[in-house]
Amino acid sequence: MEGHQRNLYLYDRFNARVAGVSRDQVATLEFWAKDLGLTFPLFSNPIGHLGIWFGALRQGYPMFNRTTVIIDKWGVIRYMRDGSPDYHEILRVLKQLHGEEAGR
Amino acid sequence: MKCRWIHLGWLVLALLVLGGCALPAPPAPHQSALRADGEALVWQDEFRFVPPPAPWQLIDLNEDDYSVAYMKLCRESSPCQSTLAYAEEPFGYSLDFVERQEEFFRRFLWASRVVFAPARLEKTEVLGGEGLIAITEGVEPVLGHKVHAKVVFARRGERVVGFYFTQWRSAEAAYDLRDEQDFLNFIESFRYLRPSFYELL
Repeated sequence: MEGHQRNLYLYDRFNARVAGVSRDQVATLEFWAKDLGLTFPLFSNPIGHLGIWFGALRQGYPMFNRTTVIIDKWGVIRYMRDGSPDYHEILRVLKQLHGEEAGR
Repeated sequence: MKCRWIHLGWLVLALLVLGGCALPAPPAPHQSALRADGEALVWQDEFRFVPPPAPWQLIDLNEDDYSVAYMKLCRESSPCQSTLAYAEEPFGYSLDFVERQEEFFRRFLWASRVVFAPARLEKTEVLGGEGLIAITEGVEPVLGHKVHAKVVFARRGERVVGFYFTQWRSAEAAYDLRDEQDFLNFIESFRYLRPSFYELL
């Protein structure tokens, strides 16, 4: 999450926004965001349906697997990766998508 | 095609794991990432530096909060150690040095439960450009430990990078800041060998 916060100015350049989704309660996320100094939205999804949609919720496991998803403005998933975010890869993908957008 | 959310653009959605679980950090470079180049070392063809002399030892703790770090132990007190490091992504977010050092000390050594005094700031020139030196002391009140910290913030392209020096002592012991000269020599010898990922983005 700190990596995303550090790259917010680059996401702006590529016309991208970042949001986090977690199964934790709102109060937990508020505390966590304040403690880390995060300024982007964090969504509380205790039921976990978002994780189910993105395949980030393993059967019998209470938390989401870490997953990064890039969705375009038409709602199409353009990138998905499990595990720790690869910030360089994310920026390369956003740059490519932004270039495609500029070329339309 | 006209889009519905013209203002939104791309969305990076990060599904998180919270709830007190430690996350696996990306593996830090091992010593194999370093190669000798005369008296200097080269790290992944990114930067070159002259390592501090023995008894400084390279640290490889699979941490991801520094790129390369050295530690020196002593026996005069407990704890008794100095650390110097270079970090490509120092704690914090701001591209402004003063704001960054405030953010930095909120996270630096947090696992050691250190309470830092406000840092004394000095402008400097480092890596051929502007920099900021932040000097402070942290106290761990329960164990009675203290740490002297000197952090030099510099730039690689537009990004902020950091050089750290810490020295741990027990509350009643005096610091021995002669080790700081090795830190300054480390910075003095430090050179980038190519533009960073962010400069090429």
